[in-house]
Parts: sequence; structure tokens; C-alpha cells
Amino acid sequence: MQRNQSKWGKWVLAVIVLGAFVLVFVNMVIDNMPKGEVQKVENYVPWEKETIEAVESLPVQDGGRIKPLSTFAAFRMLGAHGARSMKVEDKDGVVYKLKPTQWLMDTLFRPHLAVQLPTFRVDNSDVLKAIGVKVKGKRDRYSYLEIEPGFEKLEKLAQTYEPIEKKERDPVQQQTIDLYSNLRDYNVLLSYFAFARNGVLLQGSGAEGEDQRVQFSALMTTSEEIMTQVRASRESGEALNPRLETLLQQVFDGANFAKFGLFMLPPKDEAERDWLSAGQAIMGVVAQETADPKTSIDDTVSIEMAVQSMGVSEKAFRDHIIELKERVVKRAEARGEYKHIDMEVSYFKRDYFLNAMVYFLIASVSALVMWGVGGLPSKIASWVTAVSTVVAATYCVVAIVIRCIIMERPPVGNLYDTVIFIATTGVIFCLLVELMSRKRFALGLAPIMGTMLILLARRYELGDASDHFNPLVAVLDSNFWLATHVITISLGYSAGLLSAFLSLVYVLIRGLNLDGGDKDLRRSLSKAVYGCICLTVFLSLVGTVLGGIWANYSWGRFWGWDPKENGALMIVLWTLGILHARLGGIIKEWGLHLASLFTACVVAFSWWHVNFLGVGLHNYGFTGKAGIIWTFYGSVMGVILLGAFAMLIEYLDKQQRKEKSAASVKGLEA
Amino acid sequence: MEKTSDKTAKGKSPFMRIFDFLSGFKLATATFLVLLLLTWLATLEQIDHGLFPTLQKYFSWQSPWLIPELNGKTIPIILPGGYYVCAILLVNMTLGGIIRIRKGWKQAGNLIAHFGIIFMLLGGGVAHHFEERGNMAVGEGETSNVAEAYFEYVIEISEFKDEEQGEIHVVRGEYLDDLVAGKSRIFDFEGIPFGLEVSGYLKNAQPVAAVEFAPSKGELITDGYYLLERDSEVETERNMAGAYGRLVYSDGKKSPPFILAGASFYPLSVRHEDKVYVINMRKRLWPMPFDVKLDTFTAEFHPGTSRPAKFASDIQRIENGQSSPMNISMNEPMRYEGFTFFQASYGPPDAKPGDPMYSVFEVVKNPSDKWPEYSLYVVAFGMLVTFLTKLGSHLGSLSKKRKNAA
Repeated sequence: MQRNQSKWGKWVLAVIVLGAFVLVFVNMVIDNMPKGEVQKVENYVPWEKETIEAVESLPVQDGGRIKPLSTFAAFRMLGAHGARSMKVEDKDGVVYKLKPTQWLMDTLFRPHLAVQLPTFRVDNSDVLKAIGVKVKGKRDRYSYLEIEPGFEKLEKLAQTYEPIEKKERDPVQQQTIDLYSNLRDYNVLLSYFAFARNGVLLQGSGAEGEDQRVQFSALMTTSEEIMTQVRASRESGEALNPRLETLLQQVFDGANFAKFGLFMLPPKDEAERDWLSAGQAIMGVVAQETADPKTSIDDTVSIEMAVQSMGVSEKAFRDHIIELKERVVKRAEARGEYKHIDMEVSYFKRDYFLNAMVYFLIASVSALVMWGVGGLPSKIASWVTAVSTVVAATYCVVAIVIRCIIMERPPVGNLYDTVIFIATTGVIFCLLVELMSRKRFALGLAPIMGTMLILLARRYELGDASDHFNPLVAVLDSNFWLATHVITISLGYSAGLLSAFLSLVYVLIRGLNLDGGDKDLRRSLSKAVYGCICLTVFLSLVGTVLGGIWANYSWGRFWGWDPKENGALMIVLWTLGILHARLGGIIKEWGLHLASLFTACVVAFSWWHVNFLGVGLHNYGFTGKAGIIWTFYGSVMGVILLGAFAMLIEYLDKQQRKEKSAASVKGLEA
Repeated sequence: MEKTSDKTAKGKSPFMRIFDFLSGFKLATATFLVLLLLTWLATLEQIDHGLFPTLQKYFSWQSPWLIPELNGKTIPIILPGGYYVCAILLVNMTLGGIIRIRKGWKQAGNLIAHFGIIFMLLGGGVAHHFEERGNMAVGEGETSNVAEAYFEYVIEISEFKDEEQGEIHVVRGEYLDDLVAGKSRIFDFEGIPFGLEVSGYLKNAQPVAAVEFAPSKGELITDGYYLLERDSEVETERNMAGAYGRLVYSDGKKSPPFILAGASFYPLSVRHEDKVYVINMRKRLWPMPFDVKLDTFTAEFHPGTSRPAKFASDIQRIENGQSSPMNISMNEPMRYEGFTFFQASYGPPDAKPGDPMYSVFEVVKNPSDKWPEYSLYVVAFGMLVTFLTKLGSHLGSLSKKRKNAA
């Protein structure tokens, strides 16, 4: 960039960019920091690292797939707590940061501590006021103990609001339903191992003192005798022995508490696809419905030993958990269902996208330096930008590859996948543009685009709180079409967004006269935008037609006017319109960039907005937060207006100069 | 398409000027933008009005112009119908993108891509006019050889003799749709000794007892019942058509009116000269040239969830006594003799393991079934050639520039 840049323009741009960065930073902090004060849990003792490592890779079946307990914990915690970590303080004022696995371990194995943890995020205190719970801040986090007194009222209110259509519910109604659902699910986990902790009380067994307690597993070994007595009682019509009846009631209760929540026991029979919960294993034996009672009894023994060893020492607990894990993993491996568990544990631990965002942020700051200063510092900054961006992009690529291996499918299958894929490919496209143009505008733009899109991915993941590794529905489950149609369409979105970003740069530097009239730079930008629009047309058109062919294979129609299909078609039509208008001379350089900016709106409509319409086969079923999209449209339109205004001023200026030079020529002639 | 200027256009004949206009970039740009607008509006309007009526309004050949709605409110502008905008685009692309375009290696990719898109548009037109679709529901162990149309209501009439229906005469939907607002039409059938006059056709109607719900718009009451008009369903295939009929005898006399309704459980039977005839309003049945027997239907779900993993039907396709075992599943349809059978849905929804199931196939006959696929290859190849040519020349000029600079 030349040195004679407009000072005021530079300042305006600096303020805009800095403002954007403050926004990004604040968002990131909000995203990653738990809200509310650090909760005091006086008798809290942290888990040892070895114990956490033993537990985190325990396989469980959830959401239609086998996943490590750490992933299960992460999305449960995200759903209830709205973050992947929480802080607690013990009586000595030591603060501990709990990650999802620790949180779930407390919930399952130390419920007396877990009920004091600030598990539940409440975004509107009116929800709690309505159930008579003492509120803290307007938006805060609460423990189970704090909310539990209002549970009954919460349940009644939730049941009143549930019949209201989701679209019609107000935020308090929706949050009441969500809180109730989170509390109910949490209750299931809290009491899951109650059977192993409490056993069964044998009434009248203590001749002089307390009645004896026996393990569930011990009772399971006597199931044949128990059921013989039950059958005999049924056949004779005589009442069941009251002691046996009480005992059976306790067995049913214990098994029922452990019936849902955690499906952690793989069946030996490979034809059986559903894993068992501890409760199902118990009932299968007691009701004599299982073909393999020995495995279920041994599993129950193993669980009981692990749970009860909590009262002995953490080491004893760890040893028993490792034993249980070995049993379960052996069966899971035999079924071919354990191969990616360790990789998944490591994937979430490494948090590739957070690392990528850190590098993108470093690169963005150095890009500002690169643009803002000249000489050697600018050169150094450009290297820092390039290296940091490449490192960040590598993090993203590695993460996407790992995701593909774990999911055993191409990278894009749901909305979250599209965000990270578009972020990564957008950055790569940007770097390719930089390689071709060598003007440093695309180099600086790449990390900014990357930061924004990774931030979007994190915010979406937080709001959605669902595991995006879960398998796809039947109609989408086609690796060929996912690898062709979906990838091509996503690349089209990426190229379209990039063209809009590049035009944003053009509008800012030309509109604010930051380039000092550097025509070479402007021409390079225009060429890059034109190329990106050509690429968008190519990818979107091919992707759209591929989608049509897929639809023709799946539903027998090439085109169904589904909103998502229409959105892709709109991108094709808009970009074809731009290219033909440019070729026909209808629009010139300014027009090209203003139209290219509008591409961002068309892409946003196709990519995000159609999901809010509530119709069509691609509808993801969410209804809230459409306001964010309107803010985005508004911002883009604002930049377009700014560009149009700058174009008008430039035009009037040119006219004035023309008139002046004509007048001076006339004067000379006179 | 080539760039034109006012200077070159001035000396041209009117024919050439029309040619220039029809083959020009301005028309191309305008058609793209109008199509974009129509697509956007149709996307939003289908939320309120459902897909089928919206498509009829925006893209049917019977809709040369339209007034759009947004959030249920009319926008006071008149837009051309999508069908005709596509036709203009087709003309523009043929004249500009094939005939007028500069011929040469540099334009080869564009030429190929334009050709591919023309082929695709033609395919869309053929499908629009000639595609037929319906659904066939078959229970396990049962056989069927008819599909039912999604939208078209017809009237069937036949003699009923020896507990069997004689030859069935069909009045197609296209002859019924316009019989509104006092219009009527008389249909005569070979071998049927009377004509059938149909009037008061309603796309979605329910026969209602006048004593239970009094008519409010002066509807015709017959045998204590009248047809209550209902708003069109958002899912148009759920509409149930209705109309009034009268028998028209050879002496010109007419019978009292009667109701024909898609919502009726049984056909109407009438007696004439000791013979019994049945008249039925129903969705059109579409006979297949072969039988389909469903052996088993399998629905698999991802373990522990209600998320579908696989739907599949094992069938026997029976033709001329020959049986061929086939499997139809999601993404794996059966294509045979111009018909395509897709796994659409199944039931009953509350079936327990071991309960008999039925499978629903979407049946499609589309003469241009594979055209989009072939055109895709052409377009993709053409665009790739263009893109790579441009990229190559851009990179070439860049390296030249750098060399010069060095």
C-alpha cells in the first residue's frame, strides 16, 4: 500500500476493525468463561488425573453411536451448564476448574458433592422466580440443591407450556421447559448408580440389630428361585411372601433408576445392536429374559465394586473402574465398536478449533500491523500473519480429517460441519488468492475471516449443545453424495463469502481512500473478486445440480423447490447475473464490488436463513435467534450503502474536475 | 453473447436490433434477476400457502403473471411467471450463448456450458409437461399394480353387475378443475345410457349435514347434505375435492343433484332401467404394466434412537408370470420400463415388532429423468474449461508481469 493514505480514512478503518476485534474478544470470553460467581463446595476434593484418564475413555452408546464417556459428558454439560468447564472453591479457598468428565464423575459417583455444583445455567431469573426459588443475578448458574425445592412447580409449569407450539412460546416459557428437561435428565444420572451404592435391604434379616443389605448382583444369582416363587404364587393365586414382595419392589426401583441415562454394557451377541444400561442388565436377569445372565451378573458385580470402592480410596476406585473398563472394552472391540474412542477423547482434549482461533487472532492483529505500518515492521508482520494463518488452517484441516475418521463419512453432514468446513476452505481460498495476487489484502483477510467463522462455529455449538458426530438419518446417509453434492455446495458458499469479504476490503480502501488511489491494488482486488464469483458460479451450479440428481435418486424428483435447494439456486442466479452484467458493461468496478457484497446476503439466506423457515426437507428444526441473521443483512447493506455513497462522491468529484478542466480549456482558448 | 454498443446498434435493421436485444447480456441479466426474485418470493410464500399452490402460482405455464405475497401481505407489483421467464432465458441463451457468441478456443468452454444449460432447461420443460407421479402402498404379502396420483381428483363411473365393476370410465381432473362459479359440463360415456352433469367443483370440500351446520353461503343442499368449502391444505395432497352431479337422461331430463366427494367412504350407486351404476370421486389410479408384491419391509434405526438408519423393501416384480426379486431402499430406487419406484414411507406408524407392515413407494414416470445428469456433465465440463482457461491466462500474465518487474 502506498504511503500517502488518507489519515481520517485510516482512523475510521482502525476504529471499525478494532471495534470488530473487541466484539470478537468479548464474545470469545463469554463463550469460554462460565457465568456467575465461583461456587463454594466446602468439602470438594479434586479427582486425580489417572482416575479421570481411566474414566474418560469408557465407551457408552448414545445418540445412535458408541462414544467415549468424555464426549457424553461434554454435551450433557454443555446442554445444562452452557459451557465446557465450571469453577468451584473448597473451604480453603482453593479454586478448581472442572471439565466435563470430572463433572460427570461427580454426578455419577459422588452425588452428595455433585448436587452442590453450579450445573444449571438460567438465562432469565423470572424462570426461577415463578417456581419460588431464591434468585441470584438475572443470568446465573445454580446448583441442583438450589433449584430442587421448586422442582414440582417447575414440572407443572413445563407441562403447561409444552403444548404451546415452539414458535409461539416466549423465552421464559421455553427456558422453563429447557430447565425442567435438564433437571430431569440430571436426576437420572444422579441416581443411576444408586442400586450399587445402596444394595437391597433384607427385611427381618437382622435378628437383633439392623437388617442386612445384599448386593443386586447377589440377588441376580438367585433369580431362578425368586421367579419360581413368583410363578408359584401366580399359579396358586396365593399372595406373595411380603418379604419377597418388598425385596422385589426394591429390585425394580433400583433397576428403574438405572434404566436410562447411560447405556454402557455392550451385549455379547453381535446381532444385538442396542447396548444395555445397568438397569436393563439387572432386569434382564431377574425377569429371566436374557440368554446370557452370567455376563450381566459379572458386569453388575464389577459396577458395584467400583461404586462401593469410592468409600475406600480413590486408588481402589480407579482399579475397579479399570477392571470394569477392560471388561466392557473387550466386548466393544470384539464388536468393532471401540476403534475410534481414544482418537475421539484426544480430539476433544486438544480443542483444535480453539487453538486455531488463537492463531487466527494473532494473525489478525499482525495483519493490522502489516496494513498500518510500512517498511520492515510491515514485512515482519506479514510473515507473522502468514505463518500464524497457516498454523491455524493446519489445525482446522487436521481437526476436520480426524472428524471424518471418527464419523466414517465425508466432512459435512450437519450445520456445524458446514461452518468449520467453510471457515477452513475460505481461509485456504484466501491464501490461494494471496499466492496469485501478492498484494497482502487476501493475506490479512484470511485470519479475520477464519476468526469470525470459527467463532460462529463455537457459538452455534454452544447454542445447539448436541453431538455433531451423531449418525445421519437414512436419506442423508450416502457417502458418495455427501462427498460430492454437499462438499461442492459448501465450497460454493465459501467462495461466495470470500468474494464478499474481498469486496468489503475494496469498498473500505477505495471508499475511505486508504490506498491513495493505487489503481494496481484496486485492479488486483477486482480480478480476485471476479475470479471468486466465477468459482462460486461453478461450484454452486455443479453442487446444485448434483443435489438435484441426488434428490432424483432418493425421492424421484430432480427439483422439489425445497428452501435449501432454492437458496443454492439463488446463489447461482445472482452470481450469473453479476457475471453477465459485468460482461455486458451494465456494471463497472464499483458495481461489481457492491453486487459481490450482496452475495454475502444471498449466501447467508441459503446457508442459514432457510433453516429458520420451518419448511422443507433440509429444515434443521430450530426457530430462535433469527435476529442475528437480520443484523448480518443490515451490516452488509450498511457497507453497500457506504460504497454506493463513496461511488456517488467519486462520480460528482470526477464531474466537477471535468467541468473545471473544460472551463480552463475554454479560458485558455479565450 | 457479445458486448454491443449504441454506436454499432444504430445502423442495424429492426430485425437485427430485435436479435441483439434477445441475445444480449442485458436480457440475460434481467432474466437471472427476475428468476432470483421469483425463487426468493416462492420460497417465502410456500410457508403460508404450501408448496404445490405456490409452484402453480410462480412457475406453472398457466401462470403468465403473478402478484406476490410476503408474510401473508400482498406486494403491489406484477411479476412475470417463472415458466415464461425460463422460456425467455432459453431463447436468450440459444441466440446469445450458442449462435451469437464469438467462436474460438477461448469461448469453447462457455459454448459447451451454455449448451448444457439449454439442455437442462429443456429437461425441466419436458418434466413440467410430461412427468407423472403418484404413490403405491402395498402391505407385506400383498400385490398391487396401481399407483395413486397425489393431486388429481377424477370421477369414475361404471356399471355394477354380478358383484363386479364393469368397464370403468374416467373423467380426468383437467375437465373438472374449471367447473366453478355456476359452470357445468355434461360428460357422456360409451355404454352408459345417461350423461353425467358436473358442477360446483371445489378443490377441498367436506360433505356436511345441513341440520348440524347450516350453510352460510347459500350452498346447494341435497338429501340434507351440502358441500362445505375448506381452505386449501398447506400439504395440498391432503385436499379432498367435491362437486355436485346430476344424471342427464336421453330425453334431456335430469335427476336430482347428488354430491360427489373425495371424502366419501363409498362410491355413489344409482339405478337406471334395472341396472346399477357406481359413480365415484377419487384420486386418479394409475395402472402399472407389472405387479409389485411386497415380501418384507425392514426399518432400521440407529441404536437407542428413533433416528432412521435404513428403510428397505424386498419385492417381487411380476410381469407375464415371471417374477424377479428386487430390493428398493433409500437412495436405491428401482428403475424399470420408464417407471421409477422410490422408497417413500411405511406404516403403520405404531407397529410393534412382528406386526405386518406396509411400504409406500413413490412412482414416477419422467421422460427426461436422466437429462439433468447428462446436462450436468456437459455444464461442469464447459465451466471447468472456461475457469481453467481464465485462470491459466491470468497466471500467465502475472508471471509475465513479475518477470518484467524483475
